[in-house]
Amino acid sequence: MFNYIRAEFYKLVRRKYTYIALGFFLLLEGLLVACYAFHNAHSNPTPFGGAIPIVVEMGAVGFCICLLTADIVFAGQYKNSTLKNEVSFGLSRTRIYLGKLIAQTLLSILYLVAMMGFFLGACAIVLPIDPPLAPDEPLYYTLAENALIIVGWFLAAGLPLWIAGQAAACTCQFLINGDMAASFVYVGIVFVLEPILQIAGALTGGRVGDVLFKICAYLPGPLLDSAKSTVGDWSYMGQTWIVGLFWLAVCTAVGLYGFNRKEIK
Amino acid sequence: MTENTAVMATYGLQKAYGSCQALDGVNMLVRRGDIYGLVGRNGAGKTTIMRMISGQSQPTGGEMELFGASGKNMRPQRQRTGTMIEIPSFSPFLTARENLEYYRLQRGIPGKGAVDEVLELVDLTDTGKKKFKAFSLGMKQRLGLALALMNHPDFLILDEPINGLDPEGVAEFRQILRRLNQERQTTILISSHILSELSSIATRYGFMEQGKIIEEISAEALHDKCRTCLRLEVDDAARAAAVLQTQLGTDKFEVLPGNVVQLYDCLDDPKRASYALAQNGVALLAMEQKGADLEAYFLNLIGGGRNV
Repeated sequence: MFNYIRAEFYKLVRRKYTYIALGFFLLLEGLLVACYAFHNAHSNPTPFGGAIPIVVEMGAVGFCICLLTADIVFAGQYKNSTLKNEVSFGLSRTRIYLGKLIAQTLLSILYLVAMMGFFLGACAIVLPIDPPLAPDEPLYYTLAENALIIVGWFLAAGLPLWIAGQAAACTCQFLINGDMAASFVYVGIVFVLEPILQIAGALTGGRVGDVLFKICAYLPGPLLDSAKSTVGDWSYMGQTWIVGLFWLAVCTAVGLYGFNRKEIK
Repeated sequence: MTENTAVMATYGLQKAYGSCQALDGVNMLVRRGDIYGLVGRNGAGKTTIMRMISGQSQPTGGEMELFGASGKNMRPQRQRTGTMIEIPSFSPFLTARENLEYYRLQRGIPGKGAVDEVLELVDLTDTGKKKFKAFSLGMKQRLGLALALMNHPDFLILDEPINGLDPEGVAEFRQILRRLNQERQTTILISSHILSELSSIATRYGFMEQGKIIEEISAEALHDKCRTCLRLEVDDAARAAAVLQTQLGTDKFEVLPGNVVQLYDCLDDPKRASYALAQNGVALLAMEQKGADLEAYFLNLIGGGRNV
């Protein structure tokens, strides 16, 4: 498995797409920080602690990155017919599947670290740091510390849900031959399923409606949306990890089952 | 050669895609040291067999053995094979060296020299930073062969490997295969539409038609069957045989059913044979010079002249 992941990263670092995608996200973050700087120059300054909690509004970006990294790592293996080189050498399909999933997840984590590092670093440089609190208020956090706690909580809650998203993206890539179709199905599962279930729940009402609403609550996207309002609620944190690991297990089981039976061309 | 030297064998192998029976009970034996030429027209099932051996596809019936192992888990045995099935496929954004290095790392083949060694073998050392997507078909074929050879396989499976190679490339390719077979005792299963090329290297043939192996034959036996002869149709084959022995002093003939004698002598002077037969009261009903190459033999075998 180590050899497989090592080989995947050998390929990833030689692919322009890896850097272009990251560069695109960093550029967007740069624009966001520039907007804060522009705002600060023309009205009441927003400090570091007031700016960075905006991260919690961007849970969906994490799911987009899952799709992007799945696409970067999978590298059109059906389109380019390169899976046959791996299967015909006798590498187990389970190893191929899990190797790609792990490589995708590691790449997503690297993206997350780079993006968070860049955003926090840029905010720290460009925006004013909050003034320290008065010495007679030692038990309270500063605005910046409080914001970092919120961001940290959001990341800790989001991580298992993004990993679930990664597993879903990996399953789509392996089971659906076209890259475009795989992406379409992923977007359907992660972003479109919830509003459809909500509407269906509202229309059907009664017990069926309740069940549909309940299912919605256990979808990764809606669950992550609650992160900002549940800081310090450890039952919520436990729920995100249970739901995330459940999705990871289900998606991986489905993906492995399907891929082990797939004809490779 | 005994059965236990079999590198690959199939027993009633079947593959169906819906209602289409791609393989219909294939029995095939590739023995150690063979260069096994798989011959068949388009859609006969050659690629399907190769895809099953390499694990890309699962049979719907029958059994398959690879290096003596059978069943679902033949991964260790597959690691002793090198394959190039259909068009070679690599990551388009990597160079030849990078593509091979990727697979070397993935397969855990020790030493970076392994990549240089195979690149040199297939003459692809000077492609520099050219990406795979910019390669000609011939270069892609060479790279495909390089990958197939990188792990020093005991069994090489090549599907139409000389497509797109220039004449010089074909000659080099032939030499590489011969060398691998003779020096490393690599067993080779190869299919090709260029039957003249196949006939110059194969030591054994399997002829496929409609998902079945219709004949397996050694190169020597095929050579005997295809060699040039005089086909004599007479009224009494036994008497004709006696005349050929006594009058022409030859025993290079075969008596076939239907009062047909195939004479492998007197090819430069057929009149001698006809004169001797006539002199001894054997009626010669027809005489023709006959000979076949691999292509003619195959077309004759499948009973038609459609595309091979």
